[in-house]
Amino acid sequence: MDKIYNSVIEALIFASDDPITASEIAIAIKNIDGDDIIISPDEVENCINELNQRYEELDLPFSISKIAGGFAYSTKPQYAKYVGYLSTEKSKRRLSQAALETLAIIAYKQPITKPEIESIRGVNSDYIINMLLEKNLVTISGRAETIGRPLLYATTDEFLKYFGLYKITDLPKPREIEEIMNDQDFIEQRQKIMMNLIEDDLAKGTNTEEDENNESEIE
Amino acid sequence: MYKIKLQQFEGPLDLLLFFIKRDELNIYDIPISRITKEFMEYLNLMKMLDLEVAGDFILMATTLMQIKVRMLLPREVNEKGEEIDPRADLIKALLEYKRYKEMSEEFLIMEANQRRVFNRGNFEADYKEAPPEYDVLLKNISIYDLLKAFKKVLVEKPKPVVHEIKKIPVTIEQQIDFILSLFEGREEVPFLMIVQDMEEKIKIIITFIALLELVKMNKIGLKESEVFNDFVIYRVEDGQNL
Repeated sequence: MDKIYNSVIEALIFASDDPITASEIAIAIKNIDGDDIIISPDEVENCINELNQRYEELDLPFSISKIAGGFAYSTKPQYAKYVGYLSTEKSKRRLSQAALETLAIIAYKQPITKPEIESIRGVNSDYIINMLLEKNLVTISGRAETIGRPLLYATTDEFLKYFGLYKITDLPKPREIEEIMNDQDFIEQRQKIMMNLIEDDLAKGTNTEEDENNESEIE
Repeated sequence: MYKIKLQQFEGPLDLLLFFIKRDELNIYDIPISRITKEFMEYLNLMKMLDLEVAGDFILMATTLMQIKVRMLLPREVNEKGEEIDPRADLIKALLEYKRYKEMSEEFLIMEANQRRVFNRGNFEADYKEAPPEYDVLLKNISIYDLLKAFKKVLVEKPKPVVHEIKKIPVTIEQQIDFILSLFEGREEVPFLMIVQDMEEKIKIIITFIALLELVKMNKIGLKESEVFNDFVIYRVEDGQNL
């Protein structure tokens, strides 16, 4: 691959509103420069690694992340406070425990029907599923070929974006969980994140009593 | 003033897991009577506080009591002759739920991490000023969005229901004449041939009644057809009639 394409790929990702996929990049280049210029997904990925390395060397506040099947520029977490001040997108409320739980079940068992979700959770999940549909984190992917042909639910690209995943198989494996939970690094990271959550809430001016509750829930 | 702090539980399984964790119980060997008691106390507390007790909790309460009773009875055995633990299904459900509950903590961390990362294109100002093109409009549309839009249309525009009643001029006498006219030049007529050109259901019904009428009058007879699901109508000779 010619070196010039590093810059072309950089420009394409920069100009794209949504995460742009390797195949979209390859098609754009092919249509401009002719059929004999074929850029493979591996080449795109190598190029992105090179670009990210360069940004790192220059200590730039952003990098290219692999998200929802494509590539997008994203700012580094340490600038979240400032960037977040401008953005309305992420000041929205976080997902509730019920929503996270339901999403976890759908993510690992998709496509899955509502009765199956409810039998795992042990509670009626109408409201939660509707809310997840509303937020476009899950979608109806079809109908099961069982009695009554119930609707099947699956996760969306929006879901991948929301959790910063490249593809659905990047989800942590459920059986690894016991190991993860006992990992000291993980516990530390978790505590740090919880502290950040509390800071966020403080910054938004929510009352301290709620923070106490948050803290006790974490314990 | 009392200040009561009631932890929010996602459901009966969540509550049971809480008891198990708090009292460091062995999930594979749950002391059923103890946990049932705790569970019932919690339900009573909910009632005292005038909280609506969801049906799921009541269902779990009955399940627990059923297990408690079965624990007292001699154990049932399966095909292999092994004793069945009445708690087995509950333990399975608890473990399955626990697994996803733990995964949801993992999701919480991913969410928190991702909330601190901003992708290009997130800002309102980035949105194109130009009128959206169709492919942009259709980009993230799923069947669910279409369904929502369709439902909205249906709800917003209730059309006045108009029933149209069409009078079909047909009488039994007419159909009797019609059936008899078919016998001109032949001895037998299959039933399906009589009704094949009739579009209205009522006409077919009237024709059938006319047939029964003719049978009663002994003008025609019916017999089984060689064709499946059909029968043949034959004319009864006047001579036989006498």
